[in-house]
Amino acid sequence: MNSNGGLQSVSRRQLLRQTGLGFAALGLDVLLAEQAELRAAPAVGSPIAPKRPHFAPKAKNVIFLFMHGGPSHLDTFDPKPRLEADAGKPMPIKKEVSFTPPDEVGGLMPSPFEFSRYGECGTPVSSLFPSLGACVDDLCVVRSMVGDAVDHGGAMLQLHTGAFNFTRPSLGSWVLYGLGSENQNLPGFITIKPTLWHGGGKNWSSAFLPSSYQGTPIGYAPMNVDDVRKEPIEHLVNKNVTSDQQRYELDMLQKINRRHAADKAHDPELEARMQSLELAFRMQMEAPEALATNDESEATKKLYGIDDSATSDFGWQCLMARRLVERGVRFVQCTHSGHEEKWDHHRQVARRHYASAKEIDRPIAGLIQDLKARGLLQDTLVMWGGEFGRTPYAESDGRDHNPYGYTMWLSGGGVKGGMIHGATDEFGYHAVENRMHIHDLHATILHLLGFDHERLTYRFDGRDFRLTDVHGTVVSDILA
Amino acid sequence: MPGSRLFWSAEGRFVVLVPALLVSVLGRGPIAAASTPPTFDEDIRPILEANCVSCHGGDAPQQGLDLRTSRAILRGGSSGPAVEIGSSANSALVERIVAGTMPPGDLSLTESEIALIRHWIDNGAAHEAGELGAELVTDRDVLPIFQARCVVCHGKREQRGGLDLRTREARLAGGDSGPALVPGAPDASLIIQKVEAGEMPPPDMQYDYAVRNPTDAEVATLREWVAAGAPPAPEEVASPEPTPQLAEGDGDHWAFLPPQRPAVPKVTSQAMVSNAVDAFLLRKLEERGLSYSEEAAPLTLLRRAYLHLTGMPPPPQEIERYLQDDRDNRYQLLIERLLDAPEYGERWARHWLDVAGHIDTEGFGEYAPRRQNAWRYRDYVIRAFNQDKPFDEFLTEQIAGDELAPWKDQEATPELIERLAATGFLRTAPDPTWEIEFAFLDERMNVIADEVHILGSGLLGLTVGCARCHDHKFDPITHRDYYSMGAILQAAYDPYDWLQPKQRVLDIGLASEKQEVDEFNAPLKSKIERLEKSLEKEAAPYEQQLLDERLAKLPEDVREDLLRLSETAEDERTEVQRYLAKQFKQTLEISTNDLKERFESFKTKAEPIQKQVKEARDQLKPAPGVHGLVDMGGEPSTSYLLLRGDAFTPGQPVEPGVPAFLTTHLDPFEVVAPWPGADSSGRRLALARWLTQPNHPLTARVMVNRMWMRHFGRGLVASPDNFGLTGESPSHPELLDWLATEFVRSGWSMKHMHRLMMNSTAYRQDSRKDGEAMATDPDNVLLSRMTMRRMDAEQLYDSILMATSRLDPTRFGPPSDLDLSDDGEYRATGTAQGFRRSVYTLQQPRTPISLLEAFDLPQLAPNCIVRNQSNVPTQALHLMNSKWTWELSRYMAGRIIDAAGNDSEEPVREVFLRALSRPPSRSETSESVAALDELRSSWVERLMSDRREAPIEATARWLALANLCHTVLNSAEFAFID
Repeated sequence: MNSNGGLQSVSRRQLLRQTGLGFAALGLDVLLAEQAELRAAPAVGSPIAPKRPHFAPKAKNVIFLFMHGGPSHLDTFDPKPRLEADAGKPMPIKKEVSFTPPDEVGGLMPSPFEFSRYGECGTPVSSLFPSLGACVDDLCVVRSMVGDAVDHGGAMLQLHTGAFNFTRPSLGSWVLYGLGSENQNLPGFITIKPTLWHGGGKNWSSAFLPSSYQGTPIGYAPMNVDDVRKEPIEHLVNKNVTSDQQRYELDMLQKINRRHAADKAHDPELEARMQSLELAFRMQMEAPEALATNDESEATKKLYGIDDSATSDFGWQCLMARRLVERGVRFVQCTHSGHEEKWDHHRQVARRHYASAKEIDRPIAGLIQDLKARGLLQDTLVMWGGEFGRTPYAESDGRDHNPYGYTMWLSGGGVKGGMIHGATDEFGYHAVENRMHIHDLHATILHLLGFDHERLTYRFDGRDFRLTDVHGTVVSDILA
Repeated sequence: MPGSRLFWSAEGRFVVLVPALLVSVLGRGPIAAASTPPTFDEDIRPILEANCVSCHGGDAPQQGLDLRTSRAILRGGSSGPAVEIGSSANSALVERIVAGTMPPGDLSLTESEIALIRHWIDNGAAHEAGELGAELVTDRDVLPIFQARCVVCHGKREQRGGLDLRTREARLAGGDSGPALVPGAPDASLIIQKVEAGEMPPPDMQYDYAVRNPTDAEVATLREWVAAGAPPAPEEVASPEPTPQLAEGDGDHWAFLPPQRPAVPKVTSQAMVSNAVDAFLLRKLEERGLSYSEEAAPLTLLRRAYLHLTGMPPPPQEIERYLQDDRDNRYQLLIERLLDAPEYGERWARHWLDVAGHIDTEGFGEYAPRRQNAWRYRDYVIRAFNQDKPFDEFLTEQIAGDELAPWKDQEATPELIERLAATGFLRTAPDPTWEIEFAFLDERMNVIADEVHILGSGLLGLTVGCARCHDHKFDPITHRDYYSMGAILQAAYDPYDWLQPKQRVLDIGLASEKQEVDEFNAPLKSKIERLEKSLEKEAAPYEQQLLDERLAKLPEDVREDLLRLSETAEDERTEVQRYLAKQFKQTLEISTNDLKERFESFKTKAEPIQKQVKEARDQLKPAPGVHGLVDMGGEPSTSYLLLRGDAFTPGQPVEPGVPAFLTTHLDPFEVVAPWPGADSSGRRLALARWLTQPNHPLTARVMVNRMWMRHFGRGLVASPDNFGLTGESPSHPELLDWLATEFVRSGWSMKHMHRLMMNSTAYRQDSRKDGEAMATDPDNVLLSRMTMRRMDAEQLYDSILMATSRLDPTRFGPPSDLDLSDDGEYRATGTAQGFRRSVYTLQQPRTPISLLEAFDLPQLAPNCIVRNQSNVPTQALHLMNSKWTWELSRYMAGRIIDAAGNDSEEPVREVFLRALSRPPSRSETSESVAALDELRSSWVERLMSDRREAPIEATARWLALANLCHTVLNSAEFAFID
């Protein structure tokens, strides 16, 4: 419990209260039921038991590294010499909707960071990501991402759910609905330290899909890792009785339940209920182990940057992602956020992007190397990006939101490494070549997981819904 | 930047929108004006005539899109405007042409034609007055602009400057500054001058009135209208009601035809027929070679009936009483007793409150204020169920209680308050407009849309929401039908003349209630006043010091002036002083927080006082009032069909009405004054009268189907929120119709329906699944057995309170508050007696009671027809590991020891009776006794090391019994209704 109070130690519900979000929206009611040995009624079999997709998948798991606020593609993966040449001049392209107050609209702003070519492929990466640069031969850098929303809330929802204006199931929920999960003792869709802003729980909600497919949050963005580790999932720990006493209770409970079920000729509902109870306690046993780091070597911890206070938080998240994927959790999201967005730099983009990049460069590079070394990268799709990119023109000494053309990258899980896909215009404002809309990204991710995105549907309110609504084209150029 | 505009964005920032038109005029558009821009008549019209107008022209243009005139193109069709001025890239017209979807077939436009259209759009899509392509702008085009931008100050409630812009006559008459417009002379018209100069709507008032500037296109329309002589709306505005586009046979869908009362069938096993319900069910079972299961054991039935009707298990003394009752009809008598019990209304009100979407706050936001009087609606519903208020009356009061009889200037009687509180039914939707940022037109439309959703899903069993943006894809509900339903509410929820929630509170209360509140608040108020005075006194010297400090930092001459200024009373200040006061606001204004920040010693003194003030304020009781919906009186504004559901693209005007396809077999929906001389439109009363016709195809069916679902676990129509073409077909259509007609025949008596359902042999079956029935009817659609179900959230919560003797039975009135407990759980605030039933706790959707939430409490946004039933490990973790259930278990053990001692078997028996409504079996008893002993020694050990004051052995025995209580409360048997 949080006896020491203070900003760094906020409980979940205090957070929920501060950020104005309901508990149900967070969907802590993960459904986890074991693959059942049930005699009858398949309806009560585990909803997250592994399922076959439409065709042979390239990827089995997804790790989504979400950069809250919208990192600047122009300062990371999409160098624009023209910005140097025309520094300070007004942008010659018509500006789309922006947030910049009129008196702060500046001219074209070159990146303060140098770009260098890395790897065999020679993909340029800015000096913000020296460690990640070393991994470019495993990255497919998509420089032509496009979204429809210019505000954080809408853009985050679209990235996570496909829709920016309605409550729709999250990508992770669709994946879990389609594939189930390999581990029945852990939630199949886990989101580590998500932000409660900008749609909050809607970003990992299952919306109209059964609640079994909701994401389970482990901590929230502003919590510090030590507090999260104490009780990663609500009510995971019994603080009322000793473990001996709890064991007595469980023994008794087992007997009462077994007898009742036998009386009822093993009603599948009752059996399912008993299983969920047993699972709850297996989760109580397994989750702390899955989320502990004491069996990791010092070298591994160092690889993820857990030894350094700047990188320890996101390093822990990345390490957790690997541990969870290793244990068969289908979809894991790590969010780089905190008390505020880490990448929304309307001002001081140079200083603040530098600070934020430092927190993730080693951890992400470590994650990719570690996944690769363990043979997990080939089955695991790693995806990096924010809700949008940033503008080539200055807003004071920062950059404004830009959903019209920006960068995300993918790695592993059936995606070609060492490549660049698409391009923005010479200023980096609009995607002009091989434009990849968020719907196309979603269609491609589902394809990698073995689904035809047009056939992964769920009937609700009288019609069939899908992640990509009526859009989306699989981008085959990036498939390995 | 001229012409740019600030908008308040969803994430709380101002967004600057630079009108595309302006940008392109300045020549920065992608196609800078290289040559003279194309004109509609010369360049565009010929292209469209050759390629498009054969479909998009004539009397009934496809999709309502007429491409013959530039104005019609801007107005657009059912999917919105065809053109966005200044942006060909964002114009649907270009998008469709380029994508090749239009024109359909082999026809396609040449590159140069497309370029010309783009060029025309990017340059403003203009036309010259007098061009053939121009169409006369009339009153019809400007009324929606006035409604959206002006009438809030120049309309029904306010006529600022003496000006009313609602009607043509009033507009021409003008206001205090003379005529608002000079027909034919826009430049001489005040209204055009003010609007074009950006003075109207006044920028400094737009925020307070939640109004935004008209768009450039709207401004242009106004100018054109005046220039054209401000012509009135053309006669044919009241366009003929389009015949509903009923597909062949849609109107014949079973649910859209009135129910016919079928004959009750004869069946082979007539002995099993307790009432008509059984005859219909058995006929189907016999057709499949099946029959009913055995009758359930008496105690199983007792618990089932209690949980279904009262939402809680029977108290132990009732178990004894039932077992000792040797009358043949003891079961039927039990049902009667339970229907008479006050807990019946509490339980069944909960079901209705789901349908209505009742919540006690304005919505989900962190600061969403309380709906201080929403509980009166909850109480109304509870009383209605307990009184067995006829359902038609129940609906009528909820939809139009205010239109049943005069209520203004009447003496506040309990009856009057009840009738008005009933209309709280239409005030349940989350209403974000309490906050001015979310009080703009589109959010208002969302509130109305939520209420239409509640009417549609709750009363009609239809998914009307689809028709908000376009004709329903599956059901014959048209886009127009949707807005006709919205127009019924417009006399009370006028989107163009909006009332924020606080403006809707009806200041009506019993004199005794008012007096009680005044008396309660009087000492608190004087305490607050006293405390505030003392705070001011404490602050005075510090204020002076801080002011001096701040002034010391300023140049000397300013300092003098400001000092003098601060000593001058506000109304005596000169012009210069007022200017200075504004300029140096930050220096001169000193808040308590400023003082606290600066002076530690003041902070120490102030904080305890502030804390006391806050505590006293929190204790203040709100003035009694009613949370309901009443007609605003006067003429409601014109309602429009909104293209693509967008509040800012009104299409045709619509009249209040009901879906056309449902009118065939019914008396028409007819709006008449509720009583002679009534200042109330009668629109909602007309809806209530139309809905409660005895042969209405949906009203009775939808309600009896939901009651059936609550009793049997599954509706006869398995999609209770969708009786439309994509809904499920009824499993027993004749039974459904028999029940629906019986419901009406009984005078819409809900208790009659309970009796029929619960006294049937079907309801009294055992839930055991035998092999044959499982194979033939795995989902139990035919009811060859009872369906076992988990309790819903409130049943579980209330049952835990009942079993642990922690139920505070206080009924009615303001709800119990919620607290965040130290283990991070939201709980109800306890009373001396324990905790009130869940229905009497604050319905706070943002952070509801955690236990309820874990067990699938729905988010009422806006309502819920069928609850999700999940079975997830976190529920088990919650019940097992939460502090609250452990506390209640200890309490339960304490009461059992008080009542039955703590010797061997007797307390074990009590635990089982209280929680599971049955005595333990022999083996359960012996196992429990053995476990208690082990637990006792475990506690002894722990208590010894804790060096407790309490007697260790007795405490250990008590806590061990608490473990047993806790275990039984965690069992599947407790949570399931057999």
